[in-house]
Amino acid sequence: MLRSYLPAIVFLVLGGAVGGAFAVLNSVIGPRRATPHKQDPYECGLPSEVKRGMRFGISFYLIAMLFILFDIEVVFLYPIAVELRAYGSYALTETIVFIVLLFVAFGYVWRRGALEWR
Amino acid sequence: MIPLATAHLKGPHIDFAGLSPLIALLGGSVLVLIVGLLGSRWIRAQAVPSLSLGALGAALGLTIWQWNAQKSIVSGALRIDDLALVLNLVLIAGAACTVLLAWRSLAAREAAHGEFHALLLSSVAGMSLLAAAQNTVALFVGLELLSIPLYVLCATELKREHSLESGLKYLIVGSVGSATLLYGLAMIYGATGTTDFAGIASALSNGSLATDPLTLTGVALCVAGLCFKSSIAPFHQWTPDVYEGAPTPVTAFMAVTTKVAAFGVFLRFFDVALIDTQVSWGPALAVLATITILVGNVGALGQSSLKRMLAYSSVAQAGYMLAGVVVSTQLGVRATVFYLAAYLFMNMAAFAVIVARERQTDLGDSIGALAGLGRERPLLAWPMTISMLALAGIPATAGFMGKFYLIDAAVSGGYTWLGVAIVVGSMISLGYYLPVIAAMWMREAPAATSPNDASVLAPTPGPLPALAGGSSELDEDGGPLSGSQPEVLVVAVLAGAATIFFGVIPQPLFDLVHGAGSGLGLF
Amino acid sequence: MPPLSILLWLPFVCGLLGALASAVLARGGRTNAEASAGDASAASGRGAWGAPGVVALVGSLVALGLAIAYIADYKSGGAALQHVTDTVWISTLGIHYKLAVTGLNVFLLGLTTLLFAVATLAANLRSWERPRLFYFHFMLAESAVLGAFLAQDLALFVSFFDLMLIPFYFLIGGWGREPGRIKATIKLVIYTLVGSLLMLAAAIATGVLASQQGGGHITFVLSALHALPLSSGSQEWIFLFFAAAFLVKMPAFPLHGWMPDGYRAMPIEVLMVFSGVLSKVGAYGFLAIVLPLFPQAAVHFQTLMLLIALASILYGSAQAFSQTDARLIAGYSSVAQLGFITLGIFSLNSQGAQGALLQMVNHGLVVAPLLFIVGLLAKRTGGSEDVRQMGGLAFRAPVLASLFLVVALATLAIPGSSNFVGEFLILLGVFKAKLAIAIIAFSGVVLASVYALRLFIRAMHNRVGPSADSHEISILDGAVLAPLIAVIVFLALYPQLALHRSERSVKAAVASVQASTVPAQTVARVISGPRVVHRSATFADSVRTP
Repeated sequence: MLRSYLPAIVFLVLGGAVGGAFAVLNSVIGPRRATPHKQDPYECGLPSEVKRGMRFGISFYLIAMLFILFDIEVVFLYPIAVELRAYGSYALTETIVFIVLLFVAFGYVWRRGALEWR
Repeated sequence: MIPLATAHLKGPHIDFAGLSPLIALLGGSVLVLIVGLLGSRWIRAQAVPSLSLGALGAALGLTIWQWNAQKSIVSGALRIDDLALVLNLVLIAGAACTVLLAWRSLAAREAAHGEFHALLLSSVAGMSLLAAAQNTVALFVGLELLSIPLYVLCATELKREHSLESGLKYLIVGSVGSATLLYGLAMIYGATGTTDFAGIASALSNGSLATDPLTLTGVALCVAGLCFKSSIAPFHQWTPDVYEGAPTPVTAFMAVTTKVAAFGVFLRFFDVALIDTQVSWGPALAVLATITILVGNVGALGQSSLKRMLAYSSVAQAGYMLAGVVVSTQLGVRATVFYLAAYLFMNMAAFAVIVARERQTDLGDSIGALAGLGRERPLLAWPMTISMLALAGIPATAGFMGKFYLIDAAVSGGYTWLGVAIVVGSMISLGYYLPVIAAMWMREAPAATSPNDASVLAPTPGPLPALAGGSSELDEDGGPLSGSQPEVLVVAVLAGAATIFFGVIPQPLFDLVHGAGSGLGLF
Repeated sequence: MPPLSILLWLPFVCGLLGALASAVLARGGRTNAEASAGDASAASGRGAWGAPGVVALVGSLVALGLAIAYIADYKSGGAALQHVTDTVWISTLGIHYKLAVTGLNVFLLGLTTLLFAVATLAANLRSWERPRLFYFHFMLAESAVLGAFLAQDLALFVSFFDLMLIPFYFLIGGWGREPGRIKATIKLVIYTLVGSLLMLAAAIATGVLASQQGGGHITFVLSALHALPLSSGSQEWIFLFFAAAFLVKMPAFPLHGWMPDGYRAMPIEVLMVFSGVLSKVGAYGFLAIVLPLFPQAAVHFQTLMLLIALASILYGSAQAFSQTDARLIAGYSSVAQLGFITLGIFSLNSQGAQGALLQMVNHGLVVAPLLFIVGLLAKRTGGSEDVRQMGGLAFRAPVLASLFLVVALATLAIPGSSNFVGEFLILLGVFKAKLAIAIIAFSGVVLASVYALRLFIRAMHNRVGPSADSHEISILDGAVLAPLIAVIVFLALYPQLALHRSERSVKAAVASVQASTVPAQTVARVISGPRVVHRSATFADSVRTP
């Protein structure tokens, strides 16, 4: 029983050891020359114009999360669309319920003003 | 391309009758959410709670319709039996009380009513799922469906820091609990190769799996995870803070119904699936129960916030109920379920009074808010008195019968010392229940905060006075909600009356829980 | 005879009715229902003789009448239960609602109803705040105490035993005297409930273990439990838990910590019944529950219990003549008297037990008037209950003084009083059990006369106290005292009334203990043989009063 976990354990140990070794070696033998450019967020880009304390508008996060939610849920529709005939009316009803719920959620998000940019 | 369509796949058979209470709750949740978006303030404030009561009523009716059903549904993922149905009744009753308590609350208004009640109903659905779960996947889904809405509900009073803190704290601790439980479930799956409770039981019953380190680690993690959820020491530290910070109706809901669901799982998972490892977890849980009883009761001593006091008291009560799980007998199951029902009445009465007083005074949930209540508002003072006496286990209350039954179960199961621990806990508990009664009947009301005096509260600029973490709630006009709040009074009086009724005539309740013990295949 | 349930619940119903009726009357015409509750209670019954008080008085008098009828109707032929009421209360737990009159409780019923009737009368003589609530709790207390005496089911007994504390909690906390009212209340309740919760666990264990041994369905009916004796190991810890509850209630010496504060805080009318009746429930529990159910443990712990009793006698007596608060003198004298009663019960023979039973009634009869008189004296010394403030009160109150004298003499068990018979029987029993303890206990009798006479002399005679302003007892106050004094005198003349009726039941209770020590062959003779009957006849003759 426990034997089947052996590869996983080996993987964990090896992964940890190698990763850890690189990190340690890097900090021990790597050269350290701090120049102002090195301290920039993007070393190879243009000088950053944004101050460090700037906050990202919360609307970005909200929209992004809603996008992910609806996107993922729509993904579920693809396999059903392919195999709809095989399951017959049962799958159709389930799908319709699912879509209706999705619309409820959409309506809710809309009415609550989450789609408006503030 | 192979034409898969030729293979005639059939949809699974679904017993909609068995699922109907669950469907009513979830459908109600969606409906309430939509109605909450509509129209005027009046619709939101009145129609939404009414609808959610309607959904609960439908679920109640369907549960009663399913009475005496003994069947597994959804491919054996859920089991509809007396235990599930009785727990459903308790859950629905608890949720209905919460809806009434929250009718005029700030929390519901700030969450636009619709969201508050939708979250409430989906949480109840999760609990109902949990009470019927027959495999570890359904268990976990139910647990998350229960927990996630609760995290949000705790934080619904957006403008009060304590409420937000409470929600965040509960989210973090609850997630740790869920993760621990999930890890434990995975280990048990790894050891037994099945997620089904009956399958786990039969895998553990033959062979040496019952003492396998993997199994035992899994069981230990499951114990820890469930203890987080049902606030059993030493996993209880979040309880007082979260209970105190959450809006009071939500606290009432959490205190009562999450206990019901968590103990439903304890009974199903430990007394059925893991029964063959009982020798391992039995003594451990017995020790945890004793620690919980002591920690809860000692912690409650000297608390000036009633919600904190009741939080610690709920920890102690969880310890009492754990005794019914430990003995793993039919009697133990019945005693636990009986106590859960009694616990509903006792706590709802107390919380209803706290809600009422929070709206009438500016003292929040401090014990001072009750001073002189016996003289001023006997209709509130009596339910609180009954509740405190019942929680302490005084005869002629449901709490006494519940303790009696639990001690009976503990002694019958060979855990006499656990029975004594329950009794010792009750003794300590007198030290914090009696001062509440003394405050109501034996002290004068503070002159400065006469409850009907609007001028005391009306011009309150800036942050609301939040003494002892309580929430002062102002109504739509900004004045104190000191007027009539019949629905809160109804909850208080009914719960108090039920506490007395089932203390004097407990036989109906005994008959109700009788079947709950028989279904699990225990002795 | 009417069923016992009527006697049991009549006081409670009267308390409830009185409260509700006057509430309805007071509410008429008011609009704001909730807000009026406070004012109404203030308005309706401020003066004495309000509706709740009168209804309560009627109820307690009817209960007294019923109790007297049960005493008169009691058939002293055997130890069987009489007027049995037996219905299943909770079938799941095997708990029956079983009430019965036995030789052990029949006189305690009389005592309870008498003291409550008298105390209700006394309470009606003054006005109370929130009278509806006061009389409701007062009558609830009477029902609970009667229930504890009547119960023939262990779980029912435990329920009533716990329940009777609740009304007293409210009575003391709500109407008690400052300072330290709430503190005293909580102390008292925690002390006593700690004991009774231990008893709860022990009672449940008794039922469960007995049914496991018997192999039947769980039951708590006393007679059924009696037939299923526990193993001596279980008996011992269960005995200790029960003893804790009863000794706290009495109170006995090391467990009396709640007593001084509690006595000081209680209103005198409440204290009359508390001291007169509640302490007896503990002693009654030993006799009716512990001895029959846990005989081996009773034998095992006999010496311990006797020593506790002895310590109570000596400590109580010593405190009683060093205290200056008249209430505490009465309180500590109760500790000593209850010590005597415990002594009698744990002599484990029928003389001692019968003496104990008689003494329970006697003590209730003397301590209640004593406390009431203390209350009367306080009215004559500007409210002080300190004996140093009293003195010389007899000159202007000869009737009060003579009533007081009767009570004081009964307290010190002067030959000719019923108390004398009780103490005599107790000491007789102890002599047969443990000689050394009996000899020391004798000193308690002497000490009793010291403290009782000290109280009487310092209050009634001596130099007139600094704030004393004596006047004669009023007719109504006299009406409170008269029935009690009458019964004291009656029992002094005719103690056989009590002894005769209780004899069989006491023997049955003690017989189970003797059965556990004496070999089986002699048991039969002890229980039913002619030798015992003969001896009891002679001893009954010996106590016929001069």
